[in-house]
This record gives sequence, C-alpha cells and structure tokens, in this order.
Amino acid sequence: MIEDWKSYEPLLIPDIPNLHKIDVYEENDGYSALRTVLNDQEKWSRTDVTNEVKAANIRGRGGAGFNAGLKWSFMPEPDDRPRYLACNGDESEPGTFKDRNIFEFNPHIFIEGALIAAYAMSVDTIYVYIRGEYIDWVHILEQAVEEAYDRGYLGKDILGKGIDIDLHVTYGAGAYICGEETGMLESLEGKRGYPRVKPPFPAQKGLWGNPTTINNIETLANVPLVINNGAEWYQSIGAEGHNGPVLYGISGHVNKPGVYEYPAGMSVEDLIYEVAGGIRGGKKLKALIPGGTSTPVLRADQLEGVSMDSNSLRDAGSMMGTAGMVVMDEDTDMVDLLWRISHFFHHESCGQCTPCREGTGWLEKVLLKIKNGEGEIKDLDLLLDVTTQMEGRTICALADAAAWPVRHTINRFRDEFEARCKKSVHAVA
Amino acid sequence: MPEVFIDNERYEFEGDQMALQFILDLGMEVPFFCYHPSMSIPANCRQCMVKAGQYIKDQETGEYELDDDGNRKIRWFPKMQTSCALKLSDGMVIQTQETSEEAERAQKDTLEFLLINHPLDCPICDQAGECPLQIQTYKYGPEGSRFEVKKVHKPKRVQLGPRVTLDAERCINCTRCVRFADEISGSKQLTIVSRGDKNYPMTAPSETFDDPYSLNTVDICPVGALTSTDFRFKARVWEMNQTPSIDITNGKGCNIDLWTRDNEVLRITPRHNSEVNDYWMPDEGRKAFEQFNNNRVSRPSVKLDGDNHSNTSWNNAIETFAEALEAHAPQELLLIGSPHASVEENYAFNKFFNLLGASTAKFIPHLISGYGDDFLITDDQAPNTNGCRLISLEETDSAGIKTAVAEAEVVIILADDLVGREALSADDLSAKYTVSLATNKTLTTRASDLVIPITCVAEHAASYVNVDGRIQRSFPAKETKYTNRRLNLEMSEGRLDRYGTNFDNWVKEEHKIDCLPAWEFLNHLADRLGLEFQYDHSRTIFAELSDQIESLRGVTYERMDDEQGVQLPIEQNEVTQA
Repeated sequence: MIEDWKSYEPLLIPDIPNLHKIDVYEENDGYSALRTVLNDQEKWSRTDVTNEVKAANIRGRGGAGFNAGLKWSFMPEPDDRPRYLACNGDESEPGTFKDRNIFEFNPHIFIEGALIAAYAMSVDTIYVYIRGEYIDWVHILEQAVEEAYDRGYLGKDILGKGIDIDLHVTYGAGAYICGEETGMLESLEGKRGYPRVKPPFPAQKGLWGNPTTINNIETLANVPLVINNGAEWYQSIGAEGHNGPVLYGISGHVNKPGVYEYPAGMSVEDLIYEVAGGIRGGKKLKALIPGGTSTPVLRADQLEGVSMDSNSLRDAGSMMGTAGMVVMDEDTDMVDLLWRISHFFHHESCGQCTPCREGTGWLEKVLLKIKNGEGEIKDLDLLLDVTTQMEGRTICALADAAAWPVRHTINRFRDEFEARCKKSVHAVA
Repeated sequence: MPEVFIDNERYEFEGDQMALQFILDLGMEVPFFCYHPSMSIPANCRQCMVKAGQYIKDQETGEYELDDDGNRKIRWFPKMQTSCALKLSDGMVIQTQETSEEAERAQKDTLEFLLINHPLDCPICDQAGECPLQIQTYKYGPEGSRFEVKKVHKPKRVQLGPRVTLDAERCINCTRCVRFADEISGSKQLTIVSRGDKNYPMTAPSETFDDPYSLNTVDICPVGALTSTDFRFKARVWEMNQTPSIDITNGKGCNIDLWTRDNEVLRITPRHNSEVNDYWMPDEGRKAFEQFNNNRVSRPSVKLDGDNHSNTSWNNAIETFAEALEAHAPQELLLIGSPHASVEENYAFNKFFNLLGASTAKFIPHLISGYGDDFLITDDQAPNTNGCRLISLEETDSAGIKTAVAEAEVVIILADDLVGREALSADDLSAKYTVSLATNKTLTTRASDLVIPITCVAEHAASYVNVDGRIQRSFPAKETKYTNRRLNLEMSEGRLDRYGTNFDNWVKEEHKIDCLPAWEFLNHLADRLGLEFQYDHSRTIFAELSDQIESLRGVTYERMDDEQGVQLPIEQNEVTQA
C-alpha cells in the first residue's frame, strides 16, 4: 500500500505546460535517456539495455502485466530479415483511456521509449497503431514524430550515432479486436483484424512474418525513466512485484473522473475518495471494475484494504488489467451493467472462433431477456455454463474477457439477478 | 524415433507433423471443420479440440520421470488444444474424445455453439447427406438445444458469382472458401465481411465471384452455405451414384466423380489425386455433365438431302457403312482419330481400318494457345492428345487435314467436332462420303452422311493420357440401351441400385442413349465385312496395347485403379510440344 502518494511527482506526464512540444521536452531533459544510450553504446549495449529494463520489471500496461524487458529478450538474433516494434495504442476497452493522455501531453516520452526499445532489439521500423476514434491524438503524435525527425531523433543515422530507425503512425477503423496484439499485426498488414494462432509467436513470426515485438504505449513511456534512473530506482516505486508509475483511468460515479498518475499499488480507497474526489452525491460505493471491463467486478465489501497492484487484486478476485477503474455507486443496476458489458463484447467479437462468435451473442441475448424481466432462474445457470464453454477455448483472450464479467458479476450479485427473473415455470411446489 | 501417445497407444512419428493430420492418417477420427490438408491452418472452428500434455523427462538422464505409483508424470497443457494446429513433440500425450471426457465435452460445446445460429434447415438443404456439420452433430453433438432466444439473420440466396450461391445463415465461418481463393486459385475474390456472429463470406462491393475455380468452394464448404447454382435443389445426395472418372474437357485429366441418378449425370465433383489435381478442378469441367446428358446422338442416322438426317436401324447403318467401304479402294479412305476419344477407341478405330488396308489415322491436336493457366486449365482442349501420340497416330494440323480430305473419297471421323472447331469446314466434306462415330450432335455430324452413336466417357471404361503423360481411366456411370447396371461389374452400385424398385425413376428407359462403344460397333462391322476383329471389352484392347507399346508395358486397369493413374515414361518435351 502506498502511503506517501500525496507527495508523488508525476514522471510519465509531469505537470509542465506544452510538454508535447519538442523544445519544452528537450528543456526538461527530454531525449536524455536516448542520448545516454547512443552516446555510450559500449556501456549501453543492446543486451545491457534489455537487461536493465528486464531488471526494472516494467509490467506491461496493456493489461497482461508481462515483464517488458523479458519480452524484448524473446526476439531472435538479428538476421537479414527486417525487425519491427509495434506499439499498441489501440486502447478500446470501456474504462481504459490512459494512453490518450500520453499522446496528448507527453508524446515524446513515448517516442523516446520506443526508440530505446528499438535500439535494444535491433529494430529498424516502429509502427504505432492507434484506434481510429483517437484521430485528434493521432494528429498530435504525428506532429511530435515530425519534430523528432527534424531534430534527428528518428530516421537515418540518429544523433550521428549510426543507428537508423523509422517510425510510422497508423490508425485503425474502430475495432476492439485490433488491440489484441496479433489482431493488430493483421490490421497493420492491411488485413482483417483476426488474431493469429500462437505459436508461432510474434517474436518469431510477426509483421509480414518477421520478428516483431508488441508493447503498450504506456509501457514504452516507462523505458526512459528506467534508463535515466536505473532499474533499482524504478523498483523502489510502487508495490512489491508491481513497480513504477501507473496511469489510473478513473471513471464512473466519481466527482472527478480522469487519468491520474501515481505509483502502482495505490489503495483503492485513496484513489476513489481522495484522488477522484469521492462518489458523486455522497453515495455509497457498490462495486468497482478495477482494470477495464474485462476484469472481474469487485463488490465494495471485497475492496477493503485492496490496493491497485496485481497481487492484491488477484487475492481480491480480480485483475489489474489496464488500471481503468470503473466506479459504481449504490444506485447501479448490475443487470443493466452486465448486459451493457456483454453487448460490447458481442459487438466486438471478431467472429473468427466459434465459442466467442456464438457465445458472446448468446450471453448478450439471454442477459437482455433477464434485463427485460423475462428471464428465468435457469437462464442464470445457462449463462454460467456458456462462460465455461467459452473460456480458454479460443485463439485470443476476447472470449475470456467476455466470459469473466458475466461469471463474476452473476456470482457476486446473484441476488440482484434472481430478483429480476420470473419465477421459473419449471419450479415444482 | 520420437514418440507420441494418443489415446494410450504409442506411435512413432517423423519430422514436423500436426496432431490432427497424424490422427487422421492413422485412420482414427477427430471432428473438424475449418482444417483442410491443402490449405493453411486457421484453427478457427475450435472443433478438433483434444486434451494434450507432455510426459516429463528428467533433464539429465533423458528418462521419463515416474510418480510414486511408477506411472509416468504428465504435464497437461493448461488449455484444450486444437489438434489441427498442435505440433507433435517427443513424449506428447494426446487424449481425443475417445478417452477424455474433457475433450468430448469441449467438442460437444463447440457443436452446440455452431448450431445455435445455424438455421437447421437440413430438410431443404442441398448439403444434407454429405454435410460435415450434420454428420458430426449426430456423432459428437449435444442432444437438443438450450438456445431459446432469437437466431441471427443473415443474407440468403446471394448470387456470389455466376456459379455459386450463398446462404449466409448456414455459414459457420470456417473461412475455407476465403482461403481457397487466397491460397489455391489465387483470385483473392472472397473475404469475410461484418463482425462477430454477423460474419459471412462475400466479394468486394460490385465484384463478382467469377473465379474459374469457384465451384471448389462449394465442395469444401462444410455446410450448405455455398451451393452450386446449377445443381441446387436438383437431387439428394443419397439418391445419386458416385462413379470415378476423368475430366475430359481439357488436357489435365482432373480426377472426378460423376454423380448420376436415373441415368443422367447431375453433377461432377473433383476426386482427390495429389499427382494431378489435388482436391480441385476447374468449373468448366463440371459443366461437362450437360454434354453427357443432352444433345446426344442416339440411334444411327443417315443423311437424306441437305442437312436432314433420318434415324435408322443398326443393321442398316452397318450395311450402309460396309457398302461404302466396299465401293472404295482402301487408299481412298481417310481416317481421322481424335484426341477427344480414349486410347482404346483410337486404337481399335485405327486397327480396324488398317486391316482393311487404309493408312494410319491422322489426328489434329485441339489446342488454344494462351487458354491455359499454370494450375489445372490447359491450352489443350482434349483429354487424350498424348494418347494419340502414344499409339503413333499421325499428327497433323488443319492445313494438313484439308489436303488429306481433298485427296480422299471416304472420310471417317472418330468423335471429334472438326467443323465446330474449324479444323475443317462443312464444304470440305460435302463432296465426300463422310462417316462420323460421334457422341454428340455437332456441326460435323450434321455434315456427315452416316452418323454412328458411340458411348461417351460417362458410359464406358477407357483410358486417357493427360498432358503430363499420366494414363488414367474412366468407369461407366450411365447405362446405355444395351448395358445393365446390375450386370456390369465396372459400374458403381448406389443406394437405389440396392433398394430401388420399379416405381423409382431409376429404371426409366428414356435417359438411356442408343449407342455402342466404338469397338463394339466395329465388331459388328467386322462381322459383316468378314474381318478378324473382335474385342469384348476395352480391357482386351488395352491388354493388347500394353503388349505392343514399350511405355505401356506392365500398365493395366488394375494398376491405374490402385495407383490413381500411372505416369508413363513419356519425355516431357514431347508432351508439351504444340
């Protein structure tokens, strides 16, 4: 649990006006990490950079929480094939809107992080994939990329150090599934965003069959911090096993929704009541979705003493996800909520795998029936059954993401669901 | 050698192999839909799930680790695996639906999902009877359905292209058709549109699915989503007989099946032969059923005046033919063999008239330069050009044949529409006595003085040598007036043969053509002319041929059947010359 959070100074998005402009970013030590690495490539060999990041244990901020440096180390030795870094800015899960702030307020820290990652993995081309709905932020990032090219941070012979790296910004057309890493690769290749069967993993066969690593935008924004201050310093921030600053995206029934940067491991209570200004109208907390709508919902009574880091949330029965917290007050109708979440996953299932394509629709339709007061108790058990049939049976995790909220919301708020159901016609006196 | 354990049995394997194909090759079964051995593996139907794991080996000794009871320790993979995409590794343990309740359950669950939005309209669906979804639901599916909400509705009766009709509601999104157009035919005309349970295959807007191989998607569609516009609603699968044959519309000799009912060929589908056509055939070859059924020459006919023909009896035809032959010296005869006819027909034809003293038959290859592609469509429009070369008929061209016709008095043409394909004109033949041995009515038969109906590839057993020098043979699929399914051992037996009654359409006479195999007609003619010429079966002709011709030595019908055709030692440059 983080006690001294009130004195925390934001690192990813410091409160500096016009930081998105390269002049301001440079004045504030911007691109110093990149310079450090490129100026002393002997001290900062590609392996050293990877090891430092690995030691820092930056847990992937896209939701899976995998050690970023370790992921980099999966790239094979360079051969004559091109190598890619694909940066995932397709955040599209309801409740998740943190990368947008990086694009808007500090795009250069991400570019710098991506460059260091590209250097560490001998990558020569970086793609940034942003959801199409973020077109304004695409333009902001494009502006920043243009500035970085002008200053010699991107392109041929970066900073005169003999390194060539290009960065392309591209955007999607509004499909959640294109945020799934291999779905994103397909989309980048100009294809339908169907996630790929793994193995082979992207590090072996990624974009156009070449070695590719996929990192989240926020994950890469952490990289310059690690290079500038060292893995040990980075480890000192946040919770045990889950380090560094986190962009908490707080939405829902709070007085001050928004993206807030604090160390990982903040207490849920602090975040809701102090940071986000408490529940609107002074109402009571009913439930929290901690990390985007795919993460299981937690009842208020399950949240006592829980902090926003993967261990604590796992113990509580949920996951860190993207730290996109959806706060719900006592008036929230959980049946409506769950139907709305299921509607989202039904709408966004790519339709490739049978259990997800058919299951997501089935879940939504039965939930709609219950929402309309036409459900029966047996429908609740059917829903739970369907979630079991979907989970772990598909190529990507969308089926899991659709199944978990249904299972956990029903299990954790069963009374409410039963109250909405008709008395079963099959009930025998 | 590395080993795997499938359903508690040990098997050895070599190289990179996927579990599903390995299991299928062993003759065992795991249900699947999207997997196709000739295309990429998308693992999207999730039907072929198995429980899989790995025996744990001691890293130092390389021995399997044992538990307290002396059993090998297994590390099960955390999730069910789709066997189609599961690469075998040494010490892998696989449990299929036969031994694992979890696998059985997973397969049942997937089938339940597949069926919830499926229209379940099997009674009116063409695919019924040969539908993997139907078959596997009976075998592995759940009983009944728990789906009590509204099904998704999607477009029906969509004309994807000139030959393929889509019912999107039946589609299970296996993407076989899309992958076929991407990977096999290369037209890339199909994609999946929309998202989630609204998905279905479609062309790009305003594009039409006119891929010359489009009907293969109908064959590989595991449900009734893609149907043949032409065959739709014509016949139930179980009413038809399936007879192996060879595509005679071009030089590739694609292996096919003829589907017959009531002595009509109703559809043609490809038959797997990895040496020739794999699982595929061009759409053009499927249209050949029309020429087997329609516009046939049935009963001999003689020309009266102008272009009018009158049917006549076989006796009269034989007599007329014999008189014409007796009225002319052998050197006044011109024999034109045919790359469209079989090896046996050409051989018997040539031999018969050689016995009379006529010189070797000529033939004109039927080539359209630039017509072919690098897949299954060839420039060669005939199935047996190499067969004519094999028996040393005299190859010539249009100019050569015109000269020869001008010098002859009697022109005898074997199954080749020379007028239709403009190798000859009707005028060239007008002053000659012309006899056509023909299967179909053509401009050539119209210009002929005597027309003898002979059997087509769907009615006889005979062999054809394709552009690559592979000899393959046909089986009789339709009865003629003079054959009987039940007496002809070469004919396949279908459900109606076994269980049909006199009240079935099956035994109707009207679809039987009044024709004879060319050699059988020549037998009769030989009797009349007093020649030593008697073949009771094409088999006898072929046996004689394989004795005579070096490159046919040891080739028999049995070998062709067992080996799906026999590659002849014909030099490739000879084959490809135009």
